[in-house]
Amino acid sequence: MRRFWTLYKIEQKLGFRCPDGLIFGVAMPAGILVLISVIAGGKAVGGGGYTFLQSAFASLTAVGICASAFMGIPLTIADYRDKKILKHFFVTPCSPMALLAAVVACGVVTALISCAAVSVLSVAVFGYRMKGNILLFAGAYLLVMAAMYSIGMLISGLCRTVKIANVVTTAVYFPMLFLSGATIPFELFPGKLQKAASVLPLTQGIKLMKEISMGGSAENSVRIVVLLAAITIICCFLTKFTFRWE
Amino acid sequence: MESCMKVKNLTKRYGKRVVVDKLSFQVYRQEAFGLLGPNGAGKSTTIETALGLKKADGGTAEIAGMNPEAKRKKIFERVGVQLQSSNFQNNIRVEEICEELSALYQSPADYRELLHRFKLEAFMRQPVEKLSGGERQKLSVVLALLPGPELVFLDELTTGLDTAARREVWQTLKELKEGGMTIFLTTHYMEEAESLCDRIMLIKQGQEIITGTVEEVVGNSPYDNLEDAYLWYMEEEGKR
Repeated sequence: MRRFWTLYKIEQKLGFRCPDGLIFGVAMPAGILVLISVIAGGKAVGGGGYTFLQSAFASLTAVGICASAFMGIPLTIADYRDKKILKHFFVTPCSPMALLAAVVACGVVTALISCAAVSVLSVAVFGYRMKGNILLFAGAYLLVMAAMYSIGMLISGLCRTVKIANVVTTAVYFPMLFLSGATIPFELFPGKLQKAASVLPLTQGIKLMKEISMGGSAENSVRIVVLLAAITIICCFLTKFTFRWE
Repeated sequence: MESCMKVKNLTKRYGKRVVVDKLSFQVYRQEAFGLLGPNGAGKSTTIETALGLKKADGGTAEIAGMNPEAKRKKIFERVGVQLQSSNFQNNIRVEEICEELSALYQSPADYRELLHRFKLEAFMRQPVEKLSGGERQKLSVVLALLPGPELVFLDELTTGLDTAARREVWQTLKELKEGGMTIFLTTHYMEEAESLCDRIMLIKQGQEIITGTVEEVVGNSPYDNLEDAYLWYMEEEGKR
């Protein structure tokens, strides 16, 4: 455990030292929250009986997950593999798994900071109150995190070099960010685009979190919970067989 | 003499190319053993296969009496390794990489003392990227010595070091050897082999050419110094 904490402490220091994780993961969702709230926070969405802020809250808490799952973690791991840092852990009594765990822990912390920033801003500045059960929401948040991180790990296992990882993470990150409803309110999309975007796992995850945050019915959600759990299990399984240390 | 490392018929292929070809040798406790050969002779692959980083296609390796694949954790508590051209995390500082890797061992050596020994303590708070090539190379030797190893593998130990720094590193390693450490190194520098190694092994295309003390290896050739002898061996081997 001491081993893990030391690794985590140092990796987290390195993470905070280059600001892109905090910019993409924390500053951006907070900025978008302010924009949405100022522009249309109190307005009702379509005829849905809820406001843009209520709709945006759940999605914006997911941005931190998206940033760390599809940028932070895979890029760091690809870089460490390229630099043979993972390989070096093979010639110690430890295993590269320990370093991976530390990198993932840094991602979790960045995502939680992001979620906290969005929550504090929404509640303290814009008067947001969650209609649904907060604990259920936290559970959904963690499930979405597990599913997205397992996809991120699969990507980092499959991308052999930093260059490929850069291309792939960009190709995954931006569509997820813009089409899943994480940044642009999903309700504003035309019907066809909504359907197309529903294919993205993050769209489903955000749907689940939105439902719960607005106190919606659980019927629809069961299907999504099963889907996310399945994604997590399948991706972890695939990662185990495709991951290369060097 | 007690053996610290035993390699028997070790073979490694990349596709059809045989990179390590039935190599056998022993390294005795408290000696410095040098593996010499041209670029691409299979020196690094020999180390990595013997350590179990790469799967051998034939033969066995035993390190400190243990099979590296089965007893990885146990072995690397006692054996230090410097891999060729090591890299480090972006933005990491000298002290941080030392602290991070020290945490992996149960009873690591004091890295501050090692940094002092290799004249690196002034750079403790500096980012590793800002170090010169030679300083970074010395840092990778320090990291290999973190377990306080009984056996240390040094792959191209002094590549990138200037003459003075190279001498210093040799001196420090000799002192550590006096203290009981065994050294396995690969090098391109004949001077390094002469200064440090008790025994050397010349390889070409993964095959052993000759093994012995520097005197024996030189004595077996028509020349009177290692550099000429080495070139002669490589050429003779080409003729066969």
